[in-house]
Amino acid sequence: MASEPVQVRKIVVRALVIIACIVALSVLPAFVDSYTLRIATGALMWAGLACAWNIVGGYAGYISFGHSAFFGIGAYTTAILMQSGIGASFFTTLLPAILLSIAVAIAIGFPTMRLRGAYFAIATWAFAEMLLQLATVLDITGGTAGLSLPAYLNEFFFYYTMLVTAAASFIGVWWLIDRSRFGFRIKALRDDEPAAESLGIRTNLIKVQAFALSAAITALFGSIYAYWTTYIDPHSVMGPQITDQMVVMVLLGGLGTVWGPALGGVLLWVTNRYIWSTFGDTVVYLPILGVIIALVVLFLPNGLISLLVGRRRGRELIAKILSKF
Amino acid sequence: MSSPSSETRPSGHPVLVVESVAKHFGGIKAVDGVSLNVESGEVVGVIGPNGSGKSTLFSLASGGQKPDKGSVKINGTDVTGWPTWKVARSGISRTFQIPSLFTNMSVRDNLLAAAVEGDWRGARKRMNDTLDMLEISHVVDNLASELSGGQQKLVEFGRICMRDPKVVLLDEVTAGVHPNIRKIILSAIQRLRETGITFLIIEHDMEMVKEICDRMIVMDQGKIVAEGSFESIANDRNVQQAYLGHS
Repeated sequence: MASEPVQVRKIVVRALVIIACIVALSVLPAFVDSYTLRIATGALMWAGLACAWNIVGGYAGYISFGHSAFFGIGAYTTAILMQSGIGASFFTTLLPAILLSIAVAIAIGFPTMRLRGAYFAIATWAFAEMLLQLATVLDITGGTAGLSLPAYLNEFFFYYTMLVTAAASFIGVWWLIDRSRFGFRIKALRDDEPAAESLGIRTNLIKVQAFALSAAITALFGSIYAYWTTYIDPHSVMGPQITDQMVVMVLLGGLGTVWGPALGGVLLWVTNRYIWSTFGDTVVYLPILGVIIALVVLFLPNGLISLLVGRRRGRELIAKILSKF
Repeated sequence: MSSPSSETRPSGHPVLVVESVAKHFGGIKAVDGVSLNVESGEVVGVIGPNGSGKSTLFSLASGGQKPDKGSVKINGTDVTGWPTWKVARSGISRTFQIPSLFTNMSVRDNLLAAAVEGDWRGARKRMNDTLDMLEISHVVDNLASELSGGQQKLVEFGRICMRDPKVVLLDEVTAGVHPNIRKIILSAIQRLRETGITFLIIEHDMEMVKEICDRMIVMDQGKIVAEGSFESIANDRNVQQAYLGHS
């Protein structure tokens, strides 16, 4: 069949781009100052978080507003286990953080993923809000005062930890969604759940698996973030703004695409930091963000990624713009 | 093809047994105590006026809806009340009146998605065979949403070919399609039945029913009002009443 080589070429090109990105990002610290490195570390984290949210929101088609809870679960698991009473090392806290987030995702996912649309979004938002409120009153989380972690002042360590985690998440998700049976199952149920079931796909199970995978990656970034910032409180790691950022990054970059969430995550975070450093606060950031979202929704409903790869509308738009010159 | 060849004749082994199934929606009896036996290798036409309960019967048989009473057996296994995915895995496959394709996926991915719960290793070869048989290789990389109505019907039929079903339920699979596409679908049904697959076909195209079905079932107001060969059905008073109105 004529199009098989096209498929192979697509995979090879994508693999080469990923390798080139990883190589470029690996040598980046040699060329930038400490402040820029910190922004890059944040950009990697948000790119990874956007990829994680995209599994549920983009590929399964379930818009979750509860992902801040998983970020918080990861952050608090690491923070609690690293307190002086327990004294676990950072890396040993990662597995418990992942396992706990998976357990919670399964417990929440089975009842809520029978809902659709706004009902699912509201249910996950309520779940995140409940955990946020719990974190403000429990002793183990330090209540509203939060928790401090042992400081490890090595920006290179956090940069490379974020890079490895983001790259592994990106490649893993790409492989799972694009190349494995899981990917076909999840994309099929997104497009037409009854039709997917009629093909023997156990949609409820697949949705929960996707939710758990997405939660695990989110929690992993939460763990690294907690150690990186050395101090967390309920609103900094469980506030709704964390989920909001993930959703907006994915929508801007390209919902349900491989590259879009990473692109949206990096662009939005860099824009955020640029505005913050220029104007001195983040209030200006919100109206600018609003304008960007409005423009993207109006002119690029498939996200910014459609300007770069394969989406017809993006190509048409570029051609239209160029024809004016 | 006016009658099935000796190799494709029904085997006498009941592969789908529906016993007294009923489904009510509020006060409306969509299906009212329907029973039928379909043998392995048979092609059975299901006809009847709009609203007679044909599609609901398919939905009950394929697990899309649970019957209020009665039972459905596939190959001797009672699948009544099973979730759709489990009924599908027991060997039943269906198409929908309006094609239910995965519109954001390519034709290739639509076909491969149909094989994920079956023979995954052989899926690509089977996909190529299916594309050739249904003459849709040229649109393999197109999104399903970009296809014409007839091509969408072919892709939905192709998904059945990607599985290994015992019973296939086709809901108006040739409605509104170009004669060439109709021909392709008829030829594909014939090829699949030669492998022992059983078909239940809802159809309004009487010429097609006559051409391909071993026997027919006529439904009206949720009940089977007649059953038999095309000729016997055509002269049946109940059938005439169902289509022309009750006096």
